[in-house]
Amino acid sequence: MADAVRVHYQEELERLEASALDGLNLVNAALDRTLEAVQHQDVELAQIVVADDDRIDGRYLEVHQSLITLLATQSPVATDLRLISALLHVLKNIERMGDQCVNVCKLIPLSGNEPPADQEMVELILNMGKQTRTLNSQAQRAFAERDIEMARDLVRQDDVVDNLNRECFRLALAIGDDADKREWAMTMMLAARAIERIGDNAVDIGEQVAFVVTGLFREFEDASHPSA
Amino acid sequence: MTHEDEAQVGRDAREAAASRAGIAVRPEEFQHRAGGTREKVFELNGIDVHYDGVAAVKGIAMDIHRNDVTALIGPSGCGKSTLLRCLNRMNDLIPAAEVSGELLYHGEDLYGPTVDPVQVRKLIGMVFQKPNPFPKSIYDNVAFGPRILGEKENLDSKVEQALRGAALWDEVKDRLADNAFGLSGGQQQRLCIARCIAVSPDVILMDEPCSALDPISTGKIEDLMIELKEEFSIVIVTHNMQQAARVSDRTAFLMVELDATEQNRWGRLVEYDETEKIFTNPTDKRTEDYVSGKVG
Repeated sequence: MADAVRVHYQEELERLEASALDGLNLVNAALDRTLEAVQHQDVELAQIVVADDDRIDGRYLEVHQSLITLLATQSPVATDLRLISALLHVLKNIERMGDQCVNVCKLIPLSGNEPPADQEMVELILNMGKQTRTLNSQAQRAFAERDIEMARDLVRQDDVVDNLNRECFRLALAIGDDADKREWAMTMMLAARAIERIGDNAVDIGEQVAFVVTGLFREFEDASHPSA
Repeated sequence: MTHEDEAQVGRDAREAAASRAGIAVRPEEFQHRAGGTREKVFELNGIDVHYDGVAAVKGIAMDIHRNDVTALIGPSGCGKSTLLRCLNRMNDLIPAAEVSGELLYHGEDLYGPTVDPVQVRKLIGMVFQKPNPFPKSIYDNVAFGPRILGEKENLDSKVEQALRGAALWDEVKDRLADNAFGLSGGQQQRLCIARCIAVSPDVILMDEPCSALDPISTGKIEDLMIELKEEFSIVIVTHNMQQAARVSDRTAFLMVELDATEQNRWGRLVEYDETEKIFTNPTDKRTEDYVSGKVG
């Protein structure tokens, strides 16, 4: 076998993968601040998260453009082509995760400076956030290591987040007749829903891992045809 | 002449050519596009080629299907052209070349004792890397094959059909008497394709047909291949992997194999599959490395 060729192209592709996956670190940093803002009703911190989302969007645009350039100039095929296709998906997932953090942070001023917070519901949301953070890190590692089993395990972890989300819903229903409390609970329901969507995006990244490795795209779980 | 009539003329000519070549071909073998069946044109079983006793390719086993474009790819010296030349007995012209193994053409032994290699080459035409028109007029280039075969009736019509088939007619219809060397490289290559299809072959072999052409001419030849496969079966050797990806239905990847002393080298078929599979998710790591340009 001859010496390796197209070294610069390979290095560029590796650099872009690392840069795309590093987007998940940006998401986790945004998520940490989001949870802190929820916990302390910190409107200023929430505004910082909204402003900082430009960094995640910027990462998306930068890596996306570089991947398109590689497609145009290097005619990638086989595993390289699957990797680039997967990275384009993953970038979109990461960008959406950042937007969901923004969605939560935009809700915080709506709930007021001293809201009639239900501590149990706040704890549930913080717990969801921690679980989701773990999902993001696991998706990142599964992609970097091309580990399908680790990727598939994301579904199990995401079920935990989904259950916490349902629990939030149950608490919101049972919050009582006070109008302010109900308004606060409805707002927190939306926040829980946004965090739950971040977990779904992590599972989508796991599906892209399976595509890169096997060449076949299969949803791990089909929402429209759930398994019995 | 209607399209149906032309198709029948083509079938008749091919049957006559097969008969001249000493190949007993069943009429149904020449039915045009037999309902998308995976009819085999060539079946190669354990083909070895030696030059002066030195192996050039070893153990090639593959089926080549009707109305497919089949691409042979691989690094230099892996035996792609050698293999292509086996398919119309062109290696017979090299005294030291020796082909062993079984090579069936429509189920008949192509190297059988009664088969006439000259007639085989009329049935299985070849287009080369460098356009090689004869130093004659455009018309005479295309009319050359039919004249040799004594098919002098409707010669004008045959020449027109062949030039139309090679997507060249509109460009040359007003200057058929001009010397073929006055054409551009891309036009000359299409003229060679017209010359090849004028004798109604069954298979067209192409040995890097676009490597001497500019991108526009290359695009025209590639479009032409996709049209021609409706009627013919095409086997193409190419160094341009994107060309293989664009035009072929199936792709065979060959690579060089060395013996323990690393003194002797020969070509070996590594992977043969649907082109889409080869370029999106090949089975063999060596194919992957080659098509993605990681090794030469």
